Amino acid sequence: MSSLQSISIPTVDSLTLDIQLPNRLKMGGRITHQEPGKVLGGFLKAVHDAAVRESLSTFELDVTELKFVNSSSIRLFLDWAGLVKAQAPNGYKLCILTTRKFTWQKTSFVAITALAAGCVEIRMAD
Amino acid sequence: MTESNPARLPAIPPLVTMRFRPAWTYIDGIRDFGEFFCRTTFADSDVADRACVVIQETLENAIKYSSKDPDSELELVICASEKNIEFSVTSKPDNIHLDSLKLELDRLNHLNPEQAFISALERAQREPDASARLGLARMRYEGGVELRLAEEPDGRIRFTAAGKL
Repeated sequence: MSSLQSISIPTVDSLTLDIQLPNRLKMGGRITHQEPGKVLGGFLKAVHDAAVRESLSTFELDVTELKFVNSSSIRLFLDWAGLVKAQAPNGYKLCILTTRKFTWQKTSFVAITALAAGCVEIRMAD
Repeated sequence: MTESNPARLPAIPPLVTMRFRPAWTYIDGIRDFGEFFCRTTFADSDVADRACVVIQETLENAIKYSSKDPDSELELVICASEKNIEFSVTSKPDNIHLDSLKLELDRLNHLNPEQAFISALERAQREPDASARLGLARMRYEGGVELRLAEEPDGRIRFTAAGKL
């Protein structure tokens, strides 16, 4: 059984989380929680740890249905990028699948990717 | 009254005025209304998306750092002229937050919006246990607005985000 299958998925208002084997997390809805790190930080760290344990070469984060996040939630992605960067060159590459539909994704993810060049990349779905 | 940036719209009637208690639970509904209002009024999805960022971050800041007085109240005003749009939130902050807000605004206004956002991300990375403090920089970069702060004689502040339509 993949380590990813054993991760407990938190319930967060207005957010959907779907782990899709072998190497994908799909997020949808919105994250506007006051302290998103408390409700999602542990989950995303567990996903990262599982990706490392499984020796994945890439992991895809699909945010094409993630309509909006607040700035505290941008930190979640920044922290994840930091974990991936710390693992390089022996870890996996984080591929973030984004959409032009939601303007915030372009600006936020481009800036985050710039801080983890070579470890995190953006792909446009449309 | 002090203003860090004198450039502002001429006095025009507000398009939207909302007054409400500073409660987190209202943010989603007010942001969604702001998005709907901008999309409908200006027929421009880019303006609506930028409005989402600005309304979310201004209200979050105002609510997190508002005085806990029972009569504490926020006022959100949206104004627009032919070419510009302005969002302002009036609140009564605690004194500690007011000082840090002034410092942060001063720091940001010395950098261009992209540099300021990257700089804020780098700081958040360096200080993992501190709060992210990305909101103001995000507003300028993603929201395409300039920020200014005005102190009112009654201890309230008016935080304004102004940009092009």
